[in-house]
Amino acid sequence: MLTGENIHKSFGDLEVLKGVDLHVNPREVVVLVGVSGSGKSTLLRCFNFLEMINDGKIIIDGQTVNPKKDNLTKIRAEVGMVFQHFNLFPHKTVLENIMEAPITVKKMKKEDAKKLGLELLEKVGLRDKADVYPSKLSGGQKQRVAIARSLAMQPKVMLFDEPTSALDPELVGEVLQVMKQLAEEGMTMVVVTHEMKFAKEVADRIVMLDKGVVIESADPKTFFENPKNERTRQFIQLVE
Amino acid sequence: MPEIFVTVYDVFMRTYPGFLRATLVTLQLTAVGVILGTVIGLIFALMKISGSKILRGIANTYITIIRGTPLIVQIMFLYFGIVEIYTMDNFWAGSIALGVHNGAYIAEIFRGAIQGVDPGQREASMSLGMNRKQTMSRIVFPQALRRSIPPLGNQFIITLKDSSLVYVIGVSEIFALGNREAAQSYQPFESFLVVALYYLVLVMIFTFLLRLYENRLNVDRA
Repeated sequence: MLTGENIHKSFGDLEVLKGVDLHVNPREVVVLVGVSGSGKSTLLRCFNFLEMINDGKIIIDGQTVNPKKDNLTKIRAEVGMVFQHFNLFPHKTVLENIMEAPITVKKMKKEDAKKLGLELLEKVGLRDKADVYPSKLSGGQKQRVAIARSLAMQPKVMLFDEPTSALDPELVGEVLQVMKQLAEEGMTMVVVTHEMKFAKEVADRIVMLDKGVVIESADPKTFFENPKNERTRQFIQLVE
Repeated sequence: MPEIFVTVYDVFMRTYPGFLRATLVTLQLTAVGVILGTVIGLIFALMKISGSKILRGIANTYITIIRGTPLIVQIMFLYFGIVEIYTMDNFWAGSIALGVHNGAYIAEIFRGAIQGVDPGQREASMSLGMNRKQTMSRIVFPQALRRSIPPLGNQFIITLKDSSLVYVIGVSEIFALGNREAAQSYQPFESFLVVALYYLVLVMIFTFLLRLYENRLNVDRA
Protein backbone atom coordinates (compact mmCIF):
# COMPACT_ATOMS: atom_id res chain seq x y z
CA MET A 1 0.00 0.00 0.00
CA LEU A 2 2.76 2.37 0.99
CA THR A 3 6.42 1.79 0.31
CA GLY A 4 9.49 3.87 0.85
CA GLU A 5 12.70 2.68 -0.76
CA ASN A 6 16.11 3.98 0.15
CA ILE A 7 14.73 7.33 1.30
CA HIS A 8 17.25 10.08 1.85
CA LYS A 9 16.34 13.47 3.23
CA SER A 10 18.62 16.29 4.31
CA PHE A 11 17.98 19.70 5.72
CA GLY A 12 20.99 21.68 4.66
CA ASP A 13 24.03 19.80 5.90
CA LEU A 14 22.01 17.68 8.27
CA GLU A 15 21.10 14.30 6.84
CA VAL A 16 17.99 13.17 8.72
CA LEU A 17 17.05 10.09 6.72
CA LYS A 18 19.93 7.97 5.47
CA GLY A 19 18.34 5.36 3.24
CA VAL A 20 15.14 4.25 4.93
CA ASP A 21 13.21 1.25 3.60
CA LEU A 22 9.68 0.77 4.83
CA HIS A 23 6.92 -1.30 3.34
CA VAL A 24 3.39 -1.09 4.69
CA ASN A 25 0.85 -3.69 3.58
CA PRO A 26 -2.83 -2.92 3.08
CA ARG A 27 -4.73 -2.96 6.39
CA GLU A 28 -1.48 -3.05 8.30
CA VAL A 29 -0.83 -0.84 11.32
CA VAL A 30 2.82 0.14 11.63
CA VAL A 31 4.02 2.02 14.67
CA LEU A 32 7.18 4.03 14.17
CA VAL A 33 9.30 4.56 17.26
CA GLY A 34 12.67 6.07 17.97
CA VAL A 35 14.32 8.70 20.10
CA SER A 36 13.83 12.36 19.37
CA GLY A 37 15.70 13.33 16.21
CA SER A 38 15.72 9.81 14.79
CA GLY A 39 13.77 10.98 11.74
CA LYS A 40 10.36 9.41 12.36
CA SER A 41 8.33 12.57 11.85
CA THR A 42 10.39 13.53 8.83
CA LEU A 43 9.75 10.13 7.30
CA LEU A 44 6.02 10.57 7.80
CA ARG A 45 6.11 14.03 6.25
CA CYS A 46 7.98 12.65 3.26
CA PHE A 47 5.22 10.09 2.71
CA ASN A 48 2.77 12.96 2.41
CA PHE A 49 5.14 15.11 0.33
CA LEU A 50 5.12 17.88 2.88
CA GLU A 51 8.85 17.29 2.62
CA MET A 52 10.47 16.34 -0.69
CA ILE A 53 12.90 13.45 -0.54
CA ASN A 54 16.41 13.96 -1.91
CA ASP A 55 16.81 10.41 -3.06
CA GLY A 56 14.88 7.15 -3.16
CA LYS A 57 11.38 6.16 -4.12
CA ILE A 58 7.91 6.43 -2.66
CA ILE A 59 5.29 4.01 -3.95
CA ILE A 60 1.65 4.55 -3.06
CA ASP A 61 -0.91 1.91 -3.96
CA GLY A 62 1.42 0.42 -6.57
CA GLN A 63 2.28 3.75 -8.20
CA THR A 64 5.75 5.20 -7.95
CA VAL A 65 5.32 8.89 -7.26
CA ASN A 66 7.34 11.31 -9.30
CA PRO A 67 7.12 14.60 -7.39
CA LYS A 68 8.16 16.60 -10.44
CA LYS A 69 5.56 15.18 -12.80
CA ASP A 70 2.70 13.86 -10.70
CA ASN A 71 -0.11 15.87 -9.26
CA LEU A 72 0.95 15.99 -5.62
CA THR A 73 -2.32 17.50 -4.43
CA LYS A 74 -4.14 14.43 -5.69
CA ILE A 75 -1.67 12.11 -3.97
CA ARG A 76 -1.82 14.03 -0.72
CA ALA A 77 -5.60 13.68 -0.77
CA GLU A 78 -5.16 9.90 -0.77
CA VAL A 79 -2.81 9.96 2.20
CA GLY A 80 -4.43 11.27 5.35
CA MET A 81 -2.34 13.06 7.93
CA VAL A 82 -3.00 13.80 11.58
CA PHE A 83 -0.68 16.32 13.23
CA GLN A 84 0.63 16.64 16.75
CA HIS A 85 -0.87 20.10 17.08
CA PHE A 86 -4.16 19.21 15.36
CA ASN A 87 -4.02 22.20 12.98
CA LEU A 88 -7.77 22.61 12.85
CA PHE A 89 -8.93 25.66 10.93
CA PRO A 90 -9.83 28.13 13.70
CA HIS A 91 -12.06 30.28 11.48
CA LYS A 92 -14.35 27.38 10.63
CA THR A 93 -16.74 25.37 12.78
CA VAL A 94 -16.05 21.73 13.53
CA LEU A 95 -18.41 20.62 10.78
CA GLU A 96 -17.00 23.15 8.30
CA ASN A 97 -13.50 21.89 9.07
CA ILE A 98 -14.57 18.45 7.91
CA MET A 99 -16.62 19.64 4.93
CA GLU A 100 -13.89 21.94 3.58
CA ALA A 101 -11.73 19.50 1.62
CA PRO A 102 -14.54 17.31 0.22
CA ILE A 103 -16.19 20.44 -1.16
CA THR A 104 -13.13 22.28 -2.49
CA VAL A 105 -11.09 19.28 -3.63
CA LYS A 106 -13.63 16.62 -4.51
CA LYS A 107 -16.32 19.12 -5.57
CA MET A 108 -18.79 17.28 -3.38
CA LYS A 109 -22.24 18.83 -3.04
CA LYS A 110 -22.68 20.82 0.13
CA GLU A 111 -25.47 18.65 1.52
CA ASP A 112 -23.54 15.46 0.80
CA ALA A 113 -20.47 16.87 2.51
CA LYS A 114 -22.60 17.84 5.47
CA LYS A 115 -24.06 14.36 5.70
CA LEU A 116 -20.58 12.85 5.51
CA GLY A 117 -19.27 15.29 8.10
CA LEU A 118 -22.02 14.46 10.57
CA GLU A 119 -21.48 10.73 10.06
CA LEU A 120 -17.79 11.13 10.78
CA LEU A 121 -18.46 13.25 13.84
CA GLU A 122 -20.80 10.52 15.06
CA LYS A 123 -17.99 8.05 14.56
CA VAL A 124 -15.55 10.04 16.69
CA GLY A 125 -18.25 10.78 19.26
CA LEU A 126 -18.56 14.51 18.65
CA ARG A 127 -21.84 14.83 16.81
CA ASP A 128 -23.01 17.43 19.36
CA LYS A 129 -20.00 19.68 18.66
CA ALA A 130 -20.73 20.14 14.94
CA ASP A 131 -21.45 23.86 15.13
CA VAL A 132 -18.88 25.04 17.65
CA TYR A 133 -15.51 26.57 16.80
CA PRO A 134 -12.34 24.61 17.54
CA SER A 135 -11.28 27.06 20.26
CA LYS A 136 -14.11 25.68 22.40
CA LEU A 137 -12.83 22.09 22.28
CA SER A 138 -10.42 20.22 24.51
CA GLY A 139 -7.21 18.90 22.97
CA GLY A 140 -8.61 15.38 22.78
CA GLN A 141 -11.74 16.61 21.05
CA LYS A 142 -9.68 18.68 18.63
CA GLN A 143 -7.62 15.68 17.67
CA ARG A 144 -10.73 13.55 17.13
CA VAL A 145 -12.10 16.26 14.83
CA ALA A 146 -8.76 16.33 13.00
CA ILE A 147 -9.02 12.57 12.47
CA ALA A 148 -12.58 12.94 11.18
CA ARG A 149 -11.46 15.75 8.87
CA SER A 150 -8.75 13.56 7.43
CA LEU A 151 -11.12 10.60 7.02
CA ALA A 152 -13.52 12.77 5.05
CA MET A 153 -11.18 12.51 2.06
CA GLN A 154 -11.42 8.70 2.26
CA PRO A 155 -7.65 8.24 2.28
CA LYS A 156 -6.02 4.93 1.46
CA VAL A 157 -3.47 5.37 4.22
CA MET A 158 -3.54 7.40 7.41
CA LEU A 159 -0.38 8.90 8.86
CA PHE A 160 -0.36 9.96 12.51
CA ASP A 161 2.45 12.25 13.65
CA GLU A 162 2.59 11.99 17.45
CA PRO A 163 -1.18 12.48 17.69
CA THR A 164 -1.28 12.38 21.49
CA SER A 165 1.97 14.14 22.40
CA ALA A 166 0.37 17.55 22.85
CA LEU A 167 -2.48 16.23 24.99
CA ASP A 168 -3.02 16.26 28.73
CA PRO A 169 -2.61 12.68 30.00
CA GLU A 170 -6.31 12.22 30.77
CA LEU A 171 -7.24 13.05 27.15
CA VAL A 172 -4.89 10.59 25.47
CA GLY A 173 -7.23 7.62 25.86
CA GLU A 174 -10.14 9.02 23.85
CA VAL A 175 -7.87 9.68 20.85
CA LEU A 176 -6.20 6.27 21.01
CA GLN A 177 -9.65 4.70 21.24
CA VAL A 178 -10.67 6.29 17.93
CA MET A 179 -7.40 5.17 16.33
CA LYS A 180 -7.88 1.64 17.62
CA GLN A 181 -11.35 1.57 16.14
CA LEU A 182 -9.96 2.72 12.79
CA ALA A 183 -7.35 -0.03 12.91
CA GLU A 184 -10.03 -2.60 13.61
CA GLU A 185 -11.99 -1.37 10.59
CA GLY A 186 -8.96 -2.19 8.46
CA MET A 187 -7.46 1.23 7.82
CA THR A 188 -3.83 1.15 6.76
CA MET A 189 -1.98 3.24 9.30
CA VAL A 190 1.49 4.51 10.06
CA VAL A 191 1.70 5.95 13.56
CA VAL A 192 4.55 7.84 15.17
CA THR A 193 3.91 7.62 18.89
CA HIS A 194 5.42 7.23 22.32
CA GLU A 195 2.37 5.32 23.56
CA MET A 196 3.88 1.87 24.01
CA LYS A 197 0.66 0.39 25.28
CA PHE A 198 -1.04 1.38 22.05
CA ALA A 199 1.87 -0.06 20.07
CA LYS A 200 1.62 -3.36 21.91
CA GLU A 201 -2.14 -3.66 21.55
CA VAL A 202 -2.81 -2.26 18.11
CA ALA A 203 0.33 -2.43 15.98
CA ASP A 204 0.90 -5.28 13.58
CA ARG A 205 4.49 -4.24 13.39
CA ILE A 206 6.79 -1.89 15.25
CA VAL A 207 9.59 -0.21 13.36
CA MET A 208 12.47 1.42 15.17
CA LEU A 209 14.31 4.30 13.54
CA ASP A 210 17.70 5.33 14.81
CA LYS A 211 19.90 8.08 13.34
CA GLY A 212 18.00 8.00 10.08
CA VAL A 213 17.92 4.27 9.42
CA VAL A 214 15.58 1.39 10.31
CA ILE A 215 17.27 -0.75 12.91
CA GLU A 216 14.41 -3.01 13.95
CA SER A 217 11.16 -4.15 12.40
CA ALA A 218 9.16 -6.79 14.19
CA ASP A 219 5.76 -7.74 15.55
CA PRO A 220 5.11 -6.21 18.98
CA LYS A 221 5.82 -9.39 20.92
CA THR A 222 9.20 -9.96 19.29
CA PHE A 223 9.98 -6.25 19.40
CA PHE A 224 9.54 -5.96 23.14
CA GLU A 225 10.65 -9.41 24.25
CA ASN A 226 13.36 -10.30 21.84
CA PRO A 227 14.78 -7.32 19.97
CA LYS A 228 17.78 -7.90 17.76
CA ASN A 229 19.45 -4.54 18.07
CA GLU A 230 21.19 -3.25 21.17
CA ARG A 231 19.85 0.28 20.61
CA THR A 232 16.31 -1.07 20.54
CA ARG A 233 16.92 -2.81 23.85
CA GLN A 234 18.11 0.46 25.37
CA PHE A 235 15.10 2.28 23.96
CA ILE A 236 12.68 -0.25 25.42
CA GLN A 237 14.30 0.05 28.83
CA LEU A 238 13.99 3.80 28.58
CA VAL A 239 10.28 3.84 27.77
CA GLU A 240 9.09 1.02 29.99
CA MET B 1 -17.74 81.96 30.02
CA PRO B 2 -14.14 82.69 29.03
CA GLU B 3 -13.78 84.75 25.90
CA ILE B 4 -11.99 82.02 23.98
CA PHE B 5 -14.96 79.62 24.12
CA VAL B 6 -17.23 82.29 22.81
CA THR B 7 -15.03 83.08 19.85
CA VAL B 8 -14.45 79.40 19.03
CA TYR B 9 -18.17 78.85 19.21
CA ASP B 10 -18.72 81.79 16.89
CA VAL B 11 -16.20 80.50 14.38
CA PHE B 12 -17.74 77.05 14.57
CA MET B 13 -21.26 78.29 13.99
CA ARG B 14 -20.22 80.56 11.16
CA THR B 15 -18.21 77.94 9.34
CA TYR B 16 -19.98 74.64 9.85
CA PRO B 17 -21.90 74.55 6.54
CA GLY B 18 -18.61 74.84 4.69
CA PHE B 19 -16.86 72.40 6.98
CA LEU B 20 -19.56 69.78 6.53
CA ARG B 21 -18.99 69.92 2.78
CA ALA B 22 -15.23 69.76 3.40
CA THR B 23 -15.71 66.81 5.74
CA LEU B 24 -17.45 64.99 2.95
CA VAL B 25 -14.47 65.67 0.69
CA THR B 26 -12.06 64.44 3.40
CA LEU B 27 -14.10 61.26 3.79
CA GLN B 28 -14.15 60.70 0.03
CA LEU B 29 -10.39 61.21 -0.19
CA THR B 30 -9.92 58.77 2.68
CA ALA B 31 -12.28 56.21 1.17
CA VAL B 32 -10.55 56.22 -2.21
CA GLY B 33 -7.15 56.22 -0.52
CA VAL B 34 -8.05 53.29 1.68
CA ILE B 35 -9.77 51.20 -0.99
CA LEU B 36 -7.08 51.80 -3.57
CA GLY B 37 -4.40 51.29 -0.93
CA THR B 38 -5.94 47.97 0.12
CA VAL B 39 -6.08 46.70 -3.46
CA ILE B 40 -2.51 47.82 -4.17
CA GLY B 41 -1.38 46.50 -0.78
CA LEU B 42 -2.88 43.08 -1.44
CA ILE B 43 -1.27 42.80 -4.86
CA PHE B 44 2.15 43.83 -3.58
CA ALA B 45 1.88 41.61 -0.50
CA LEU B 46 1.24 38.62 -2.77
CA MET B 47 4.15 39.67 -4.95
CA LYS B 48 6.38 39.91 -1.90
CA ILE B 49 5.63 36.38 -0.76
CA SER B 50 5.67 34.90 -4.26
CA GLY B 51 8.39 32.59 -5.48
CA SER B 52 9.38 34.94 -8.30
CA LYS B 53 12.49 37.02 -7.72
CA ILE B 54 11.33 39.59 -10.26
CA LEU B 55 7.95 40.12 -8.59
CA ARG B 56 9.59 40.33 -5.18
CA GLY B 57 12.07 42.84 -6.57
CA ILE B 58 9.33 45.05 -8.02
CA ALA B 59 7.38 44.96 -4.76
CA ASN B 60 10.46 45.76 -2.68
CA THR B 61 11.40 48.66 -4.94
CA TYR B 62 7.91 50.12 -4.72
CA ILE B 63 7.77 49.82 -0.95
CA THR B 64 11.26 51.26 -0.49
CA ILE B 65 10.54 54.30 -2.67
CA ILE B 66 7.15 55.04 -1.11
CA ARG B 67 8.26 54.57 2.46
CA GLY B 68 11.43 56.51 1.82
CA THR B 69 9.83 59.71 0.52
CA PRO B 70 7.39 62.16 2.14
CA LEU B 71 3.74 61.92 1.22
CA ILE B 72 3.58 65.60 0.36
CA VAL B 73 6.32 65.10 -2.23
CA GLN B 74 4.45 62.11 -3.65
CA ILE B 75 1.27 64.16 -3.95
CA MET B 76 3.07 66.96 -5.81
CA PHE B 77 5.01 64.55 -7.95
CA LEU B 78 1.91 62.61 -8.94
CA TYR B 79 -0.21 65.69 -9.51
CA PHE B 80 2.27 67.52 -11.71
CA GLY B 81 3.56 64.29 -13.22
CA ILE B 82 0.13 63.11 -14.29
CA VAL B 83 -1.04 66.49 -15.48
CA GLU B 84 1.79 66.32 -18.04
CA ILE B 85 0.26 63.23 -19.64
CA TYR B 86 -3.35 63.28 -18.71
CA THR B 87 -5.61 66.03 -17.40
CA MET B 88 -6.95 64.97 -14.07
CA ASP B 89 -8.75 66.98 -11.44
CA ASN B 90 -6.95 67.56 -8.20
CA PHE B 91 -9.34 65.42 -6.12
CA TRP B 92 -8.43 62.33 -8.11
CA ALA B 93 -4.75 63.12 -8.20
CA GLY B 94 -4.79 63.56 -4.42
CA SER B 95 -6.76 60.43 -3.63
CA ILE B 96 -4.68 58.32 -6.00
CA ALA B 97 -1.55 59.63 -4.30
CA LEU B 98 -3.04 58.63 -0.94
CA GLY B 99 -3.86 55.18 -2.31
CA VAL B 100 -0.40 54.64 -3.78
CA HIS B 101 1.17 55.82 -0.53
CA ASN B 102 -1.03 53.59 1.62
CA GLY B 103 -0.50 50.63 -0.66
CA ALA B 104 3.11 50.32 0.49
CA TYR B 105 2.20 50.29 4.16
CA ILE B 106 -0.80 48.01 3.70
CA ALA B 107 1.33 45.60 1.66
CA GLU B 108 3.57 45.20 4.69
CA ILE B 109 0.56 44.72 6.96
CA PHE B 110 -0.84 41.97 4.74
CA ARG B 111 2.53 40.32 4.26
CA GLY B 112 3.09 40.18 8.00
CA ALA B 113 -0.39 38.83 8.61
CA ILE B 114 -0.09 36.14 5.93
CA GLN B 115 3.32 35.04 7.15
CA GLY B 116 2.04 35.14 10.72
CA VAL B 117 -0.50 32.38 10.08
CA ASP B 118 0.75 29.14 11.67
CA PRO B 119 2.57 27.06 9.01
CA GLY B 120 0.62 24.08 10.38
CA GLN B 121 -2.51 25.56 8.81
CA ARG B 122 -0.93 25.44 5.37
CA GLU B 123 0.33 21.92 5.97
CA ALA B 124 -3.04 20.68 7.16
CA SER B 125 -4.69 22.18 4.13
CA MET B 126 -2.13 20.70 1.72
CA SER B 127 -2.36 17.32 3.43
CA LEU B 128 -6.09 17.30 2.67
CA GLY B 129 -5.31 17.67 -1.01
CA MET B 130 -5.98 21.36 -1.39
CA ASN B 131 -3.72 23.10 -3.88
CA ARG B 132 -1.75 26.29 -3.24
CA LYS B 133 -4.47 28.57 -4.49
CA GLN B 134 -7.23 26.87 -2.47
CA THR B 135 -5.01 26.83 0.60
CA MET B 136 -4.33 30.53 0.24
CA SER B 137 -7.87 31.66 -0.49
CA ARG B 138 -9.78 29.33 1.84
CA ILE B 139 -7.45 28.80 4.79
CA VAL B 140 -4.56 31.23 5.04
CA PHE B 141 -6.09 34.42 3.73
CA PRO B 142 -9.25 34.52 5.88
CA GLN B 143 -7.09 34.07 8.96
CA ALA B 144 -4.58 36.66 7.79
CA LEU B 145 -7.39 39.15 7.17
CA ARG B 146 -8.53 38.89 10.76
CA ARG B 147 -5.02 39.52 11.98
CA SER B 148 -4.76 42.52 9.66
CA ILE B 149 -7.81 44.32 10.94
CA PRO B 150 -6.27 46.11 13.94
CA PRO B 151 -3.21 47.41 12.01
CA LEU B 152 -5.40 48.20 8.99
CA GLY B 153 -7.71 50.25 11.19
CA ASN B 154 -4.68 52.12 12.42
CA GLN B 155 -3.56 52.74 8.86
CA PHE B 156 -7.04 54.00 7.94
CA ILE B 157 -6.87 56.56 10.74
CA ILE B 158 -3.47 57.68 9.49
CA THR B 159 -4.95 58.04 6.00
CA LEU B 160 -7.79 60.17 7.28
CA LYS B 161 -5.35 62.55 8.88
CA ASP B 162 -2.86 62.39 6.00
CA SER B 163 -5.60 63.43 3.61
CA SER B 164 -5.08 66.96 4.97
CA LEU B 165 -1.85 67.12 2.94
CA VAL B 166 -3.68 67.21 -0.38
CA TYR B 167 -4.58 70.83 0.41
CA VAL B 168 -1.29 71.64 -1.32
CA ILE B 169 -2.84 70.80 -4.68
CA GLY B 170 -5.96 72.79 -3.90
CA VAL B 171 -8.50 70.18 -2.83
CA SER B 172 -11.14 71.78 -0.58
CA GLU B 173 -11.00 69.40 2.31
CA ILE B 174 -11.11 70.21 6.02
CA PHE B 175 -7.59 71.52 6.42
CA ALA B 176 -7.70 73.63 3.24
CA LEU B 177 -10.90 75.24 4.39
CA GLY B 178 -9.52 75.89 7.87
CA ASN B 179 -6.43 77.43 6.37
CA ARG B 180 -8.53 79.74 4.24
CA GLU B 181 -10.79 80.56 7.16
CA ALA B 182 -7.80 81.40 9.37
CA ALA B 183 -6.41 83.79 6.78
CA GLN B 184 -9.70 85.52 6.00
CA SER B 185 -10.98 85.93 9.54
CA TYR B 186 -7.68 86.77 11.27
CA GLN B 187 -8.66 84.11 13.83
CA PRO B 188 -6.04 81.42 13.14
CA PHE B 189 -6.10 79.93 16.62
CA GLU B 190 -9.86 79.45 16.69
CA SER B 191 -9.94 78.23 13.10
CA PHE B 192 -7.33 75.54 13.58
CA LEU B 193 -8.90 74.48 16.85
CA VAL B 194 -12.12 73.87 14.94
CA VAL B 195 -10.16 71.97 12.29
CA ALA B 196 -8.57 69.81 14.99
CA LEU B 197 -11.99 69.08 16.46
CA TYR B 198 -13.34 67.85 13.14
CA TYR B 199 -10.47 65.42 12.74
CA LEU B 200 -10.67 64.31 16.34
CA VAL B 201 -14.38 63.55 16.13
CA LEU B 202 -13.96 61.70 12.84
CA VAL B 203 -11.15 59.58 14.25
CA MET B 204 -13.15 58.82 17.38
CA ILE B 205 -16.16 57.69 15.35
CA PHE B 206 -13.91 55.57 13.22
CA THR B 207 -12.17 54.02 16.22
CA PHE B 208 -15.52 53.19 17.76
CA LEU B 209 -16.78 51.48 14.58
CA LEU B 210 -13.55 49.56 14.28
CA ARG B 211 -13.77 48.29 17.84
CA LEU B 212 -17.35 47.23 17.24
CA TYR B 213 -16.25 45.27 14.20
CA GLU B 214 -13.30 43.65 15.98
CA ASN B 215 -15.55 42.55 18.83
CA ARG B 216 -17.98 41.02 16.40
CA LEU B 217 -15.18 39.05 14.75
CA ASN B 218 -14.01 37.76 18.10
CA VAL B 219 -17.51 36.70 19.05
CA ASP B 220 -17.80 34.81 15.77
CA ARG B 221 -14.72 32.81 16.47
CA ALA B 222 -15.40 32.08 20.10
